[in-house]
Amino acid sequence: MTGPVPTILPVATGRVTAAVFWRALRRHPVLAWTSVATATAASGAAVVVPILLGRLVDLVVAGGTVRSLLLISAWILAAGLVAAVLTGVSRWLVTEWGTRACADLREQVLDHALRMDPARLEAVGSGDVASRVTEDVEQVTDSVQLAAGVFTSLVTVVITFAGFATLDWRIAAAFLVVFPVYVLSLRRFVPRAARLYAAERQAAAVRTQSLLTTFTGARTVHAYGMQEPQGRRVEEASRGAVVARLRAVRGFLWFANMMNYAEAIGLTAVLLTGFLLVRGEVSTVGDVTAAALLFHRLFGPLGMLLISFNDVQSAGAALARLVGIAGLDVPAARVVDPAGSRAPAGVVASSVSHRYPDGPTVLHDVSIEIAPGESLAIVGESGAGKTTLAAILGGVFPATGGKVWLGDLPIDDLHPDELRRLVGVVTQEVHVFAGTLADDLRLAAPHADDAQLHAALALVGADTWVAALPDGLQTVVGDGEHHLTPSQAQQVALARIALLDPPIVVLDEATAEAGSAGARQLELASAALVRGRTAIVVAHRLTQAQACDRIAVMAHGRIVELGSPEELVAAGGTYATLWSAWHR
Amino acid sequence: MRAVSPAGRLIRGMFWRQRRDTVLCAAFWSLHQVCEALVPVAIGLVIDQAVGTGSTTAMLWSVLGIFGLFTALTMGWRSGFWFLSRAMVEESHALRMRVVRRVVAGQGIRTRRQSGELLSIATSDTEASAELLELGSRVVSALLGLTVATVVLLRIDWSLGLGLVVGIPVLVLGLNALGPLVGRHTAAQQQAIGRAAATAADLLHGLRPLRGFGGVDEAARRYRSASRTSLRANIGAVKAGAVFVGASTFTTGLLITVVAALAGWFALQGRITFGELITIVGLAAFITDPVLNLADCVFKLATARASAARVAEVLDAPERVSSGTRTAQPGTLVLDDVHAPGLDGVSLAVEPGELLGVVTGETATADAVTDLLTGARPPERGEVTLAGTPVRDLDIASLRRVVLVEPHAVDLFGSSIREALHTGTDHDEATVDRALAAASASDLRTDGGKGLDRELLDHGLNLSGGQRQRLALARALLADRPVTVLRDPTTAVDAVTEHAIADGVRAYRDGQATVLVTTSAPLLDRCDRVVFVHGGRVAAVGRHRDLLAQPPYAEVVLR
Repeated sequence: MTGPVPTILPVATGRVTAAVFWRALRRHPVLAWTSVATATAASGAAVVVPILLGRLVDLVVAGGTVRSLLLISAWILAAGLVAAVLTGVSRWLVTEWGTRACADLREQVLDHALRMDPARLEAVGSGDVASRVTEDVEQVTDSVQLAAGVFTSLVTVVITFAGFATLDWRIAAAFLVVFPVYVLSLRRFVPRAARLYAAERQAAAVRTQSLLTTFTGARTVHAYGMQEPQGRRVEEASRGAVVARLRAVRGFLWFANMMNYAEAIGLTAVLLTGFLLVRGEVSTVGDVTAAALLFHRLFGPLGMLLISFNDVQSAGAALARLVGIAGLDVPAARVVDPAGSRAPAGVVASSVSHRYPDGPTVLHDVSIEIAPGESLAIVGESGAGKTTLAAILGGVFPATGGKVWLGDLPIDDLHPDELRRLVGVVTQEVHVFAGTLADDLRLAAPHADDAQLHAALALVGADTWVAALPDGLQTVVGDGEHHLTPSQAQQVALARIALLDPPIVVLDEATAEAGSAGARQLELASAALVRGRTAIVVAHRLTQAQACDRIAVMAHGRIVELGSPEELVAAGGTYATLWSAWHR
Repeated sequence: MRAVSPAGRLIRGMFWRQRRDTVLCAAFWSLHQVCEALVPVAIGLVIDQAVGTGSTTAMLWSVLGIFGLFTALTMGWRSGFWFLSRAMVEESHALRMRVVRRVVAGQGIRTRRQSGELLSIATSDTEASAELLELGSRVVSALLGLTVATVVLLRIDWSLGLGLVVGIPVLVLGLNALGPLVGRHTAAQQQAIGRAAATAADLLHGLRPLRGFGGVDEAARRYRSASRTSLRANIGAVKAGAVFVGASTFTTGLLITVVAALAGWFALQGRITFGELITIVGLAAFITDPVLNLADCVFKLATARASAARVAEVLDAPERVSSGTRTAQPGTLVLDDVHAPGLDGVSLAVEPGELLGVVTGETATADAVTDLLTGARPPERGEVTLAGTPVRDLDIASLRRVVLVEPHAVDLFGSSIREALHTGTDHDEATVDRALAAASASDLRTDGGKGLDRELLDHGLNLSGGQRQRLALARALLADRPVTVLRDPTTAVDAVTEHAIADGVRAYRDGQATVLVTTSAPLLDRCDRVVFVHGGRVAAVGRHRDLLAQPPYAEVVLR
């Protein structure tokens, strides 16, 4: 895809990202404290090694005995062993800590993505969200392994600095010259890096979108033999990600350069001070050696910090995208009385109008009253606003103007859970969720037993083919698994609503995707579902409309005719024309 | 000669394509390693020659030397990193494009992988495969760093150097023994992460229906359970990794201690100088890095190879239908006594220029006819020919230029109406308008005020089902193939529009062969000829109005 991807979904600022991740980390206090403690101890033990090596040199210079040499070697070995054990344990604890925090975060992100304000979701589509909960989550989780290394390195650097305190204070002071270099480089680099890496993640998201569209639409690409143009589209998106990535790398290299020079400056300062001190006979060669070795010891962790900076920045950008979703306001899950209102309820719309962001107004001043138990068909040309009206009446997203009541409750005041107890909606998009058929159905009714599932399937006429499936209800369906035909998938969608058993149902083009061969059967299925409920049916097949109590004919976002099928046919208006066309 | 596995071939190809950048990276990183190895040597020299003696000149030279060394060191690392990044990014891009081209080319590939998995192969796995380039460069440079350290030690004292020559391989191989443990956990972790991601993608893909039946709470609970499973696998891998880190830290510590103790003893005996002792102690500290580096590479190799194997599997997957070599020519498209699921010996011919209706009440039959006409699957028995040539002998690309079958499930590409209509050839505005009008889709152009540049969301989600279907129809008409097969093209439009489309298609396709696989009476009414397939056999052929007299036909097409 070449155009800009709508980025209405927020990306969190650095500060918010850090705060949210910090909160996630604090949720595991035991792991947190043990991690910090073992990482500190591990680094402490590791720092002892070069100090002891310095002592070994001193001992040799002072002409010590072989016995004392062996003793100090034993100490070095013991320190090494302790350091190894502690390093392993701290690696485990720190990584587990981060991994748990990541798991909490990714669950929160998906939760929020699922519950996000529907208007916003409709505006951005699911592509950007999908790339965040998959790719960005993976990026952040992968980098936790790295984060453990980074954390240990940080502690090592701090401890090593502390180790300088054991040396001559003047040599330690000399070492401080590296700080201005670090501070200046970071101040210049960090804001730039944030921009570069955010751009890199964004480019990766565009690429993902383009790949996913291509893979899911592979059939159509084959049909047109359009692998060339489609390949070019993907190539463009992928190339964009390449360029963004290399741009980020180039920015990083400047920073890496500065860090290396800081090391050189620090080492020179230490050696130069040592030189002067030894010449002034205030310090020993052993002390200077220990200082130089201790400083050299910093190179490893500093290098580690440096190399991982690249990935950490990238993960940070991914994290910001996750926190952007996790930070959205969503209605919290609420316990609703399961025995709550299933009483028949009507639907009332008053002066409802709607426009999509940056789009034309698609509904103008629609008012309609549907009595409890009544069925209303909505018909009209494609693009007349039927789907939008049905979605608004079903509470899929709120109208931009006007009011809707379900029963005697304004739809905006209903909590999502209460809303779904009142009204079930079959949308135009049909999706077979991956997993067993039973799992798919239980998404709508988690506590339904097999008998209830079978009853719901029987109601929509799906019992025969389900019985013929290789594993019945336990057959694994969904992408790449046992393929359900479009009309079977539609029947499953209807069966889910049957399990939900709401007093109001909204069926949008329930027969559209099935192809004409399966349409008749689906008509029977939706008729069974509509029976005894308040129903709004978006009907393309007029036989379906004809079976409803009343019909609303829509054109250009308005209801232009409303009445019983007989009345409308007799009136000789738009519906009468449609009806005679249907019969021709 | 031993047969090379597909993954092995892929990896060779990767190194061959990126040979220039990989070699440059290895060279610069080796320079960096040598410089790193020389840092302790330099420290030893400075302490011996300057700090120990108190000579100002020596100290000045030392400072210059240190800066020279660091300049070379940082330059080496930076250049290496740049060439490596370029090689890796370019190579993963190249692999990704090969995967994409493989999936979209011809009839596609036979694979059980879902599009979500293909996505992860095209993104994560191509990137992980390209990391092999990094491992290659790192191994080369680490080995060179170790060689330099060994040579320096050999020059100071041959027994210490020899100890390293023997000790390091033993150490690396010993750590290697932990590889399978770590590899197993890592594989489990990758799989669990992938599964959690696939669950998330699946739920989000079905989000609109999910909200419609209020399944959000249950969906969130399911993802939480997938995420917890993934977490358990993660923690298993974390523990295995921690054991590896602990073991490698200890063994390298052991190596350092032994070298330092021996060097101290030699110094006490006067076999080596104090400066040499400092150099050796520094070198002992230095070699931990390349040794750990080598161990880490070995450790990561398994993961990267597994990714490469997945990429190779897609690239080597068999074609769904193999392509012939002969160029397709427009002509009569014939099904000659074909057998397939839903077809029990069906013969029919699509003559040039005719509008042919194919009616069936069975989905399987309709699927079989569509697939056979496009060559997407071969018949079990019988023959499908185009202008007298069997379709299986035809080159797929040329067949696509003659026969188009628009799938019933609509997939739209591109981010505007114009892009969605574009399938390879450019058309002027007037032609595009004509196709849109024939598909009764002119409103797509006039609504919104941006004309053909009206923005499309992914999959055209901001269009209604009817709009998507009409846009796909316009795209099929615009492609203007000599034979066009349309499957149920009007299921999502109203009755009046259906009539308009029937007239539009009839007029637009005048003089070119068109097959309508449908039960829509308005469409069939415009057909020159209708073939009624019933019970897997051709039950009747004739004009729609005449066939209506037959009850089985009437039952299928009347509503």
